[in-house]
Amino acid sequence: MASITTNTPANGSDKDPVSLFESHRRQMIRDRMVVNVTLGVLFIAFLLWSAWISRFTPDRLAAGLPRIMEYFGSVMPSLQWDVLFESRDEAGRFPPGSLGFWYNDFWKYIRLIWETIRMALTATLIGTGLAVILAFLAARNTTPAHWVGVAARRFLEFCRGVPEILFALVLVFAVGIGPLAGVIAIVIHATGALGKLSSEVVENASMRPVDGIKAVGGNWFEQMRYGILPQVMPNYTSYALWRFEINVRASAVVGFVGAGGIGAELSHVISFYSDDRVTAVLILIVLTVTMIDLLSERLRHALIGKESLK
Amino acid sequence: MLEFKALTKQFKNTVAVKPATFTIPDGQMVGIIGRSGAGKSTLLRMINRLNEPSGGQMLFQGRDITALKGRDLREWRNECAMVFQQFNLVGRLNVLTNVMSGRLFHHNFFSSMAGVFSEKERAFAIRALDRLGMAHVALQQTDTLSGGQMQRVAIARALVQEPRIMLADEPIASLDPLNAKVVMDALRAINQQDGLTVICNLHTLDTARQYCDRIIGMQEGVIVFDGTPKELTDKAAREIYGAEAEDAFSEAMTSTALRPGAQRAQPEVRVVN
Repeated sequence: MASITTNTPANGSDKDPVSLFESHRRQMIRDRMVVNVTLGVLFIAFLLWSAWISRFTPDRLAAGLPRIMEYFGSVMPSLQWDVLFESRDEAGRFPPGSLGFWYNDFWKYIRLIWETIRMALTATLIGTGLAVILAFLAARNTTPAHWVGVAARRFLEFCRGVPEILFALVLVFAVGIGPLAGVIAIVIHATGALGKLSSEVVENASMRPVDGIKAVGGNWFEQMRYGILPQVMPNYTSYALWRFEINVRASAVVGFVGAGGIGAELSHVISFYSDDRVTAVLILIVLTVTMIDLLSERLRHALIGKESLK
Repeated sequence: MLEFKALTKQFKNTVAVKPATFTIPDGQMVGIIGRSGAGKSTLLRMINRLNEPSGGQMLFQGRDITALKGRDLREWRNECAMVFQQFNLVGRLNVLTNVMSGRLFHHNFFSSMAGVFSEKERAFAIRALDRLGMAHVALQQTDTLSGGQMQRVAIARALVQEPRIMLADEPIASLDPLNAKVVMDALRAINQQDGLTVICNLHTLDTARQYCDRIIGMQEGVIVFDGTPKELTDKAAREIYGAEAEDAFSEAMTSTALRPGAQRAQPEVRVVN
């Protein structure tokens, strides 16, 4: 027992394991310090450079911030307490200053938000389906042929590299104004993003079950369906839910170029009125997105929690 | 009859199996022994073409197995079932589905993608499981089973293929002695009762001697011994195992002092989760 702490090296103190370790450790810390300082200097240099390019200066910020406030001031509703809950008068109008006046088009907004959610749901379902198939083609361990894998990976890169709004812009020309263009645009982008994530999950899956299915005479589809899919299913479900959150936000945006959903209304009220209707729509969008985020987060955690218990 | 004609496997720089020529008659139980890296697994996996031979030919009942492609190849794999060292079951599916997956070759695209199996197939799978004493876990998720149980499920999956040959790649290397005995007894029973040809890679000498009709010894990709267990003298075994001989013998003594059928260690210990 005592020999552990009092053990002296057999041949000379220069080979003492502790001092050897200590000098090695000091050397490592010195090396790491050099790297860290270099990275820090580079970071600050790039930060200053980009600030200079974008002319991000305190005085411009100081001048600009109040104008944001100014805009929000102009689109704030002028609610008045005494008529806040007034209903329609004889002419069928809400008095100015009432909630009803502010949200005169409430049911139209709700219809459009519902359309937005349905767009996101459709796009998520189709996108996940396509991503699952493409992930098997793209993953290096399951691709049927090398060139198929390369082609699938490049295709997925293209799909997720181009923003939804660009796809939507082009598709509005192709299939006309409306939700269809938006759904297709989001499907393409979601397929690209989910396909990449899913193929990484597939690459981490065990190939043993695949060998097993191969050995019973199963074809490639059966090897994927029985050998890989059960392994990756919990991850896929979680990714699909997470993508649904993103797609809700995306489908609220594609409306700006005429591809359906609440975005079209937001764009309309901003460019035509810029009055309290802007905040009316914005508040509804934020509420919807927050609600769906919370809901899907709950579901995902329940899913992951269930998995990790096993 | 399975005929090997100068069957070879070459990887980039090494020859895993040097031209091998031999014949396995129907209904024989063959044990392939040798040290790790001797080419046993490669030889076995060439039979169902999980590894592609780089030269030579393999004939089954006169049919050229090495030339098969597509559906014909899958039909051949369905005819010669394989059991693996690591079981290669789908852990997240239940036991029954794993066993029924042995029928996948007979399914069309849609029924296999939808995972629809007939009542007949279910009954068939349950019988196979029951034969191995595993019917009671049929609906349990597979990755909750122990190694020995999984290997028996894997044998059940192989059985529902209604194969003509059963390949076993180190079937007991990951198992404790008791489970090893249960699994080897099952393979021997399949060989004797169903008349299936069983070709089995084994690490331990003793097991091969106890269970097999014929032993093939491999060393660095070459078949150096081919004969009955009686003909496999200690001297011959030492030649097969070379430097690892002492390990192989001591391992044989400690881990697998198995006597086939002596007292059938049927799975009395049933784990019910």
